[in-house]
Amino acid sequence: MTREIRAEFLKLRTIWSTWVILLIAGVAAGALGVLVAFAPHRRALAQALFPAKGTVDWFDDVFSVMGVATALALILGIISVTGEYRHKTITPTLLAEPRRGRTVGAKLVTSAAGGALVGVAAGAMSLLLGFGLVAGGYGNTSVMLTEYRHVFPGILAATVLYGVYGLGLGAMLKNQVVALVVGLGFEVVVTPIFVGVLPSVGRYFPSQAASALESVAAAARHHARIATFGANGTNLLTWWEGALLLLAYGLVLAVAGTSTTLRTDVT
Amino acid sequence: MTVGAVPGNPSVEVRGLTKHFGSVVAVDDLSFSVEPGLVTGFLGPNGAGKTTTLRMLLGLVSPTSGSALVGGVRYRDLPAPSRRVGAVLEASGFHPARTARDHLRTIATVAGIDAARVDEVLELVGLGADGKRRVGGYSLGMRQRLELARAMLGDPEVLILDEPANGLDPQGIAWIRGFLRWFASSGRTVLVSSHLLAEAAQTVDDVIILAAGRMVSQGPLQQLLQGATTSVKVRTPDADRLVDVLTAAGPAVGRVKREGPDLVVAEGTTAEVVGPLMARNAVVVLEMTSSGESLEQLFFQMTEGAPMGGRPGRPFASPPPPPPPPAGGPS
Repeated sequence: MTREIRAEFLKLRTIWSTWVILLIAGVAAGALGVLVAFAPHRRALAQALFPAKGTVDWFDDVFSVMGVATALALILGIISVTGEYRHKTITPTLLAEPRRGRTVGAKLVTSAAGGALVGVAAGAMSLLLGFGLVAGGYGNTSVMLTEYRHVFPGILAATVLYGVYGLGLGAMLKNQVVALVVGLGFEVVVTPIFVGVLPSVGRYFPSQAASALESVAAAARHHARIATFGANGTNLLTWWEGALLLLAYGLVLAVAGTSTTLRTDVT
Repeated sequence: MTVGAVPGNPSVEVRGLTKHFGSVVAVDDLSFSVEPGLVTGFLGPNGAGKTTTLRMLLGLVSPTSGSALVGGVRYRDLPAPSRRVGAVLEASGFHPARTARDHLRTIATVAGIDAARVDEVLELVGLGADGKRRVGGYSLGMRQRLELARAMLGDPEVLILDEPANGLDPQGIAWIRGFLRWFASSGRTVLVSSHLLAEAAQTVDDVIILAAGRMVSQGPLQQLLQGATTSVKVRTPDADRLVDVLTAAGPAVGRVKREGPDLVVAEGTTAEVVGPLMARNAVVVLEMTSSGESLEQLFFQMTEGAPMGGRPGRPFASPPPPPPPPAGGPS
């Protein structure tokens, strides 16, 4: 299996889309962080929604934007399978390793690692921004780092599991466009509807599982804050339930995809 | 050690192989075997089921019934498939942004093949100088060569090629021909598909002819050519040399006779075979006539009635329909 894993890492390294995804993760975490930090707002709402600059809650908001990295980890996982079908590299891949389960197994490992890298790219940029904000006179290093330590581990875990989830989706759907539309559409359209209308069901959706995971250390305070402005912060699973659920999504889809979609003829 | 060297254990063996795609029967109860040391041509018109058969041999397509074995086992059960079988399929399995070298490195890594071999096979197919270029910028001919380089990574004992001459210029085709002859002459096995019998006739020893998923004919090319009862008459000032050239050409040319001081007749062959031979050996031709059925006519006769092939009796008699207008957008 190590040979397959090494080959999959080499594949990831030798296409530009991997590097573009990492770049976007970094840029997005930085740019959105700045936006959140200095978002203009109406005075009346400011007290309730926007914490004062330099406070723990303010840093919490700035660092929480790292969460966009999960979507990028999802894309990375998806294209690690669907890209092979799109460019027909699946043929030489399967000629070299005809046992398809092994190839998917190796991709599980590299997608998880790729997800971690995406998380690290976003995390590095967020941390840089944190130091920049402190240097600019907002808050102090200790407050900033404490909050960073609260948020980053959950984000990192979520990106790892989203890489696996993306791989599973890709293995199940095989077609790149379909998998991306389904994966991202589920995040952006379906989940918010369920969270709004049927929160008892919505909490079991991947992005809600990730939210539970992301607020692992900051949980109580974070949830309470979100709850004050009407979101469903208190409706989330516990962090470990979220982690297990997300992992289950990835593994179940990967196994199901391997034994159904990926067993079909490569013509 | 070598798969094909075991007597009585043909390196490629297909038994009762059948494949249905929905209601379409692509391959119908096909049985044949391929021996080492020879180049075996796998011939048939487009849609005859050649590619499907080869892909079943390589574990990419699952047979509906029957078996397709390499060295006595299914491809997916081979412990190190890349070291046993090299496959050249359509020249499209590349990520355009990846360099040829990186493409081969990923395959070598999976197969446990030393990275140094990557540069060796690139040199072997004449891509040594282009290995660090992205495959997206490669010509079709270069992609075909890259496919061959990938097939050769594991220094396999069996080479399976699907229309390797597609997209190659005459020079490239001649190169592939020489390569296959060299490969087979070292006691290894070559199974190469083609939809052009006359083209393949210059390379292959044995032929398997397929039409509409069924076997039409199998055996040495020589036998097939005798069945064709064709002959080529050449008037040339180099008659002695032409006799030598034709005699040395092997099974593609049948009996060679002198019918006069400047007249040579080759039986059991066609102008498509003799012409290039004369050109390659710089034999001056004053006149050439062929009689009897041509190799292509024979091929059409054998494969006629094939639903996807030419019209029975009048293959490709009418011009092909104009191409459809370009689609409105990306599919």
